[in-house]
Amino acid sequence: MIHVFQYHDDYYVYDTGSGSLHVADERTAKYLGGEPVCLTDEELAEIAALKAEGLLDAPETDARPIKREEIKALCLHICHDCNLRCKYCFADEGAYHAAREMMSFETAKAAIDFLLEKSGKRKVLEVDFFGGEPLMNFDVVKRTVYYAKEEAAKRGKRFLFTTTTNGLLLDDETIRFLNEEMENVVLSLDGRKEVHDEVRKTVNGKGSFDAVIEKIKKFVRARGDKHYYVRGTFTAKNLDFSKDVLFLADQGFDSLSVEPVVTEIPDLEIKEEHLPVIEQEYDALCDAYIEREKEGKGFNFFHFNVDLEGGPCLEKRVSACGAGNEYFSVVPSGDIYPCHQFAGDPKWKMGNVFEGTLDPAIRGKFANSCLFTREKCKDCFAKFICSGGCSANNYHFNGDIEKPYEITCAMMKKRVECAMRVLAARKSKEI
Amino acid sequence: MIKTIAKPQEKKITGCGECRSTCQSACKTSCTVGNQSCERITREQKIDGQK
Repeated sequence: MIHVFQYHDDYYVYDTGSGSLHVADERTAKYLGGEPVCLTDEELAEIAALKAEGLLDAPETDARPIKREEIKALCLHICHDCNLRCKYCFADEGAYHAAREMMSFETAKAAIDFLLEKSGKRKVLEVDFFGGEPLMNFDVVKRTVYYAKEEAAKRGKRFLFTTTTNGLLLDDETIRFLNEEMENVVLSLDGRKEVHDEVRKTVNGKGSFDAVIEKIKKFVRARGDKHYYVRGTFTAKNLDFSKDVLFLADQGFDSLSVEPVVTEIPDLEIKEEHLPVIEQEYDALCDAYIEREKEGKGFNFFHFNVDLEGGPCLEKRVSACGAGNEYFSVVPSGDIYPCHQFAGDPKWKMGNVFEGTLDPAIRGKFANSCLFTREKCKDCFAKFICSGGCSANNYHFNGDIEKPYEITCAMMKKRVECAMRVLAARKSKEI
Repeated sequence: MIKTIAKPQEKKITGCGECRSTCQSACKTSCTVGNQSCERITREQKIDGQK
């Protein structure tokens, strides 16, 4: 499959089968896009050469995911409570539609034991401390990290830890610990003060921007060259979210991710009618992104990274995120769910870390789900980059993990095109 | 005119399972495999670079 797209006077040709990206002149691009253009013999020879090299119109893989029993990652819901009350929170403002509670060390320890036991020959395991707000249960986070490291060392394994935090409880002690122990830290900040304060409220109903901004800046200054992301959410109320991304970059944050909200709250939900504006915003952001990089003021925007040269293998590309099969969420009771977005839904409870079991039917459903079981993905140019979308989003919006949610598909395709523009700009020495 | 900007590396490594879980990175709603690099290629390039 060949995907041709244009931005201003530039034409891009992406070959889905080979994963190759080309730039072309208007005539060649239109010809490859199926328009009736008469090319010269020389132009046709260029195309034939690329086809012969397997870089154009290449056959697409039908490789299925490799069946594995091993588990590689857990999301630990270390705290089902939060010190903020964000309007759009999918997790019911931290409580996950149940009583507010903390994960005990005993449960966290059992989860680590469960992961180690089920990890087979895997050497590198991943644990994400998630909430609610994980730092509200900081003592258990610390004890769990130290326990996991000790147990992993005995088995010749190691852990990569991640924490997602709203930043409110960052202080010298938490900053030092997170910087020492976490391979990645995700800090929630939505952008401009008025945008952030509109949705990210304290328990008293006040905006939280002023309470977190300096703490997050302090954290990032102390982070050095270790991974972090300042991660925002945009809603229907700030469809001009490119301004928020650039605002965050102007605050000195150089690793950013701003995501579309996942909610059905009427005034916040992203709807189909918003898509044209959102697509324009991604283009505007992409222009600014390339311009800033040219000026030596570049930053990393998560979605504008697409590694066409050293990206994941085909097996990974068709397997999607691994939720429900090699990656699970564990809630404070020890119950296991396919991922954090299924947490608390009894239909998706898969087991409990104290029992060490996983429901084979639910696991089988996720293990068998892949790019090729998602009918709508068949004709999508971005399928080997997207790998079929988020199962949880598919389920929550379309009632089936196999039915991609069209609105996120549209945004995904636009972001992939932007990422390709960035790549082309870099490769063309334009930057 | 058509010019190749990027193509996958010759080295095909499939299914080693070293890669990170997709949803563990920057976001928890729309992470994709395409935003990741192959851990193994990255590691090997790092080692090559140190030689």
